[in-house]
Amino acid sequence: MRTMTDHNLMTEVRDGQVEKLAILFERHHVSLFNYFLRLTGNRATSEDLVQEVFTRILKYRATYKGEDRYAVWMFKIARNAHIDLLRRQKTTLPLDEQFAEPADASAPPEDGLEREQDAALVARALARLTPRKQEILVLSRFQNMKYREIAELMECPVGTVKGTIHRAIEELGEIYSALTREKCHDLR
Amino acid sequence: MTCDDIRNTLPDFLTGELSAKAKSAVDSHLASCASCAEAFHKVGETWTKLGVLPIEQPSPAVRDRFYTMLEAYAQGLEARSGEKASRRAFSLRGLFARNRPAFRFAAASAFVLAGVAGGLLVGRTGAFSQKFARLEREVEDMRQTAALSLLDRPSSSERLLGVSYSEQVQTPGEPTIAALLRILDADPSVNVRLAAVDALYLFAKDPRVKDGLVASLGRQDSPLVQVALIDLLTEIREQRAAEALKALIADEKIHPDVRERARQSLKSLTS
Repeated sequence: MRTMTDHNLMTEVRDGQVEKLAILFERHHVSLFNYFLRLTGNRATSEDLVQEVFTRILKYRATYKGEDRYAVWMFKIARNAHIDLLRRQKTTLPLDEQFAEPADASAPPEDGLEREQDAALVARALARLTPRKQEILVLSRFQNMKYREIAELMECPVGTVKGTIHRAIEELGEIYSALTREKCHDLR
Repeated sequence: MTCDDIRNTLPDFLTGELSAKAKSAVDSHLASCASCAEAFHKVGETWTKLGVLPIEQPSPAVRDRFYTMLEAYAQGLEARSGEKASRRAFSLRGLFARNRPAFRFAAASAFVLAGVAGGLLVGRTGAFSQKFARLEREVEDMRQTAALSLLDRPSSSERLLGVSYSEQVQTPGEPTIAALLRILDADPSVNVRLAAVDALYLFAKDPRVKDGLVASLGRQDSPLVQVALIDLLTEIREQRAAEALKALIADEKIHPDVRERARQSLKSLTS
């Protein structure tokens, strides 16, 4: 089945067929929502950020050149929207709220299924990484971005991305193990 | 290669950016170095473990807000460019008023089609038909992909949403039919199985669906699903259901109300 590529759709949006953004929205809004959710742990904030991304895409559509893969361009916008949010929060939120663990990460699972408990534990472990490690890991693991694309997005050398993924995954494993031990200890 | 060299390739190994040649070197090193093999196993496990994080769905409000924003933007654009605002044939606000995810998805798809159609109607008919047909195929494909992805999720509310999406597919492909029948047969949630019965009713002319419905009747253990299936098979006048109905009537372990409904159905089918 022939489908229009993201690049072709965005080119048409840039050139004035803004209604084509609906297709890009349907293709990417869930992925963007999950990206933000894994970074913020907050559903309402993540939904606001998704809206902000598509508003900015319309606002800056004329700047789309198609040099990067569309997803990389979109995630650049997403990243900037998230950074702007963090800046705003820093000036308005008390310190303890700025560094509080994301709500979803510590929320009890909806039911007793082992998988859901495990997911809650992994989310808590992920939330304990530094924001930079979290972000690089999420882009690589969940958005399937290549080192080169992440480096372009984060404006850093490819080697830095690679090293960060290595350290982040090792650290995540250690945090997860520690949380598992804590949980077992609590159950005793 | 030294152990350090090998461990430096760990991220490439995880992300699939390791060349075939390097992978072969790593494999042979791991076969003879227990320490590196342990390190790879450990990070590999953590990498895989991240897969337990579910793909969450945003609330329907996200779609509402997006289409409201897009509509306002498009209107502003038209006003600025002096084009006639009558290009859009309907109000999106009205379309998205109903609080039903599948409806929203369908409406979103309809908007895509209607918006593009509206834009293209002023153009040449041939080009319009081609682009419209292509977009229609794309929207249909999107529906099926979204439905299939949701039907496999561990959360029952997501699977319900998947069933809901699949109802919007005009011509379901083999994977969609198979997924709905699988849900009907084996989903642990009665609500999801009931939703699958409703969805399959829409595709009941398909012989694969008829076969699946008849076969599923004997496999159901929930009286609610049994009754829903009996009603559906009666509605579509599926004669091949008679044997399965007789088996239900004869089985004393089946709920009396279900057996009674099966009797009525059998009578209706054979009359």
